[in-house]
Amino acid sequence: MTSSISLDSAKPARGHAIARVLENRLPYLIIAPAILILLLVGLFPLIYSLVVSFQHVTMTENDRSFVGLMNYAELFRDARLWEALGHTAIITVIALPLELLIGFLMAQLFIDRMLGRQVFVALLVLPTVISPIVAGATWRLMFDVRFGPVGEILSFFAGEPVRILWTVNPSFVYPAIIICEVWQWSPFMFLLLLAALSNVDQSQLEAAELDGASYFRVLRAIVLPSIAPVIAVACLIRGLDLVRIFDIIWALTEGGPGSMTETISLYTYVQGFSQFETSYTAAIAFLVIALLTVITTVVLKRMELAR
Amino acid sequence: MADVRLSGVHKYYGNVHAVRGVDLTIKDGEFAVLVGPSGCGKSTLLRTIAGLEDPDQGTIAIGGAVVNDLRPRERNIAMVFQNYALYPYLTVKENIAFGLRARKTPEIEIRKRVSEAAEMLGIGGLLDRHPRQLSGGQRQRVAIGRAIVRKAELFLFDEPLSNLDAQLRDEMRTEIKRLHHEITTTMIYVTHDQVEAMTLADRIVLLREGKIEQQGAPLELFERPQTGFVAGFLGSPSINLIPAKLVATADGISAAFENGGTLDLPRSRAAALREAIGRPILLGIRPQHFSRASGAPLREGVISYAAIADLIQPTGTRTFTTIKIGGVDAIAELQAHDVESHGERIELAVDLNRAVLIDPASGQVIN
Amino acid sequence: MTFAMLPRRKTRILALRYVGAIVLTLIFLFPVYWLFMISFKTPDEIYHVPPLWVPGQIQFSNYYVLFKDGDVVAIANSLIVAGVSSVVAIILGTLCAYSLARFGTGGENLAMWIISQRMIPPIAVVFPIFLIYVYFGMVDGFFGLILLYTAFNLPYVIWMMRGYIIDVPLELEESALVDGLNRWQVIWKVVFPMVRPGLMATSVFTFVFAWNDFLFALVLTRTEVITFPVQLTHYFGGQSNFWAKIAAMSVLGTLPIFVAVSVMQRYLVRGISLGAVKG
Repeated sequence: MTSSISLDSAKPARGHAIARVLENRLPYLIIAPAILILLLVGLFPLIYSLVVSFQHVTMTENDRSFVGLMNYAELFRDARLWEALGHTAIITVIALPLELLIGFLMAQLFIDRMLGRQVFVALLVLPTVISPIVAGATWRLMFDVRFGPVGEILSFFAGEPVRILWTVNPSFVYPAIIICEVWQWSPFMFLLLLAALSNVDQSQLEAAELDGASYFRVLRAIVLPSIAPVIAVACLIRGLDLVRIFDIIWALTEGGPGSMTETISLYTYVQGFSQFETSYTAAIAFLVIALLTVITTVVLKRMELAR
Repeated sequence: MADVRLSGVHKYYGNVHAVRGVDLTIKDGEFAVLVGPSGCGKSTLLRTIAGLEDPDQGTIAIGGAVVNDLRPRERNIAMVFQNYALYPYLTVKENIAFGLRARKTPEIEIRKRVSEAAEMLGIGGLLDRHPRQLSGGQRQRVAIGRAIVRKAELFLFDEPLSNLDAQLRDEMRTEIKRLHHEITTTMIYVTHDQVEAMTLADRIVLLREGKIEQQGAPLELFERPQTGFVAGFLGSPSINLIPAKLVATADGISAAFENGGTLDLPRSRAAALREAIGRPILLGIRPQHFSRASGAPLREGVISYAAIADLIQPTGTRTFTTIKIGGVDAIAELQAHDVESHGERIELAVDLNRAVLIDPASGQVIN
Repeated sequence: MTFAMLPRRKTRILALRYVGAIVLTLIFLFPVYWLFMISFKTPDEIYHVPPLWVPGQIQFSNYYVLFKDGDVVAIANSLIVAGVSSVVAIILGTLCAYSLARFGTGGENLAMWIISQRMIPPIAVVFPIFLIYVYFGMVDGFFGLILLYTAFNLPYVIWMMRGYIIDVPLELEESALVDGLNRWQVIWKVVFPMVRPGLMATSVFTFVFAWNDFLFALVLTRTEVITFPVQLTHYFGGQSNFWAKIAAMSVLGTLPIFVAVSVMQRYLVRGISLGAVKG
């Protein structure tokens, strides 16, 4: 019973010393580059911003003295900021439920097996994966008062010529933005809800069917509780995207007419890159971050409670 | 070939003290089975031997060399996992060859060993398939094949049969036993199934709450358990434990039950039990120590007992019947046709020579 | 509409569901159709009142113009920036994810911090990043954009790959460790083949995110390294738009995405829901 343990790699030979260290420190070695980049590009600018937000720096004046909460106090006096927040809220509050509802109805349509379902689903999710800038540009073409098809279609149904300046007329800019937004992101909701609905316990549904439960009773008692976590996640992801909405509006209205459709992201951009208010922009950025953090925390808390 | 020696091994998971000071020596070529209820630390102990877990205290030696600081791959062991751990993207052949390739074995040698192993396990026809195309039993054979080709000095099995259905399990058990006879490598096998433990082991190591409760040859543990736990764990159906009190009688010692009944204990054991007179005990009688009284005179230590058959569970070869002893339910294992109907009055012979007496306070067996 | 495949109802409304599915698909795909169609129209057809529903003929002069004017450089830039940053993010992110998943490095808190990085709105960091980039002369260059997109996508990659790696049975790795592989080999020979589909899917999404990004590109590009979304916005005019270029550029910038995503359809749900829904 002699030991043959001194086989090949079993010897902790000197030549293996480096390899050994590499392996012993492996958990930290392989995590380091990613964390470094995140700190550098993610955290460092935030800290920089935080410092600057307590100073009074503009692009032209490099005044590094600290002014306390002046920039933050300014936030409360800035009417245009609160309007921008209001615009963001309007878009979010209207678009999110619409996307959820349309996505749910779409999922209902496709929940049962049907020939070619895969193809339909593949086609329907296309809007979601294209660039929001392209989506905005596409609807810009669609809405054009002279050469776009939307007016033409509406005229057909109205029986008389309908001429709407969608992206300029104050009554129609919000509908235009929301149509584009809902067109692009309802399929996102659809896809997640379709997956969630397919995972609803079949035997529960069959039992309810045998009990003679009505459609809405089944919906309330079985389906909604089962898909609630997915709805929460989907709404969280989309909600956060909507609060920071930028691309679609840039492509469709550029915040206009005037500043009528200026959202918080657009306003921040304007402050930073047109007004060059470095410090004030930083303060707004932290307002946005605080806002998103509150929303995220509340949603996650509620999800935890529901669990 | 190597022996395995553990001394003072402790392992914690956070606050959980999973292994609490295990000293164990497994001889070269021995088939040792670590057995115990779930959570007893048997898998942890095996993984510690493999090097997949580091002990928080104590040493592990394989073949005389302490291996605490060696990585799993440096310990020259082979391991078979519960879920087979086959690589789904590799063919059976490549799965078996995986460990050899990792050790840069020459291609010719790999081919030779793979076909040897495949032959030994009867999976020669499956070499080009992928794991998902195999049945559970076949996958298990591949997993074992992967271990065999390594010609490691120590084989570890982590509940390898628990995912198989009953019939396959019996079959594979036999195969593993045969395998050990053929390759005679030291094997350590973890299971929670006492039948596997009894049938496979040269030596059973019974663990409880991170400690070795008792170890020894299977029949030694079965017949001479040192604690009530060991007595209760081994044997199916389990041993009957009847609360009683030891009382002195005219010609020896009896067990007096709470309902007033008594059973006379064998005179041969009187001396050993004298000290325990007056104390409460648990009287342990294995189901197979009951038999239908034939009317012939009874041997010393065997007493007759009249009972009413309650539940009757025939298995074909033997029939289990529930009876009452000392006011509690007990199971007696009889011949297939010894008892036919519920409520039947039966005359039993109970062999108390092999009865186990347990101190309920300490759990220790009274000898 | 039903929740379950209950046979009686199923047959009764199947036809109705097909009608609904086709109408729905037509509505949702019409804008995409319109975009493609304009890209094939001649100027006369584009600026026709009332609008023409089909082009007279399929002709590629709009695309030809993009090549002739050199506008397609933006597509090439996007390919480079999105491609390189995805590869880097995938490599670094997957390694990091392995450490998080298997060694629990940094505990639950580090994992949470990383995913919270994903929630930070780009607008909140783009301005300080711009100032830092100006300071280091990294504006309007490949390196800056690639670094930014790598950082931007890392949390996503780490989060997704952590999920895929956790799904790999631990026993496979342990078995390989016993069989004689070291950790690096385990990652390469066992984990990598097991997570390859998830890795491919995550790469595709990473690419798509970088490809579709507008805000960072808008701020950090000037003339040298313009990406395609920024190039697209150059065609917008106050009164009139360069319709032919908008359409053709949009199509060019969308095709790769369509192809990539349809290949990865099985992983779409898990990919876009940040792993919360496994589809």
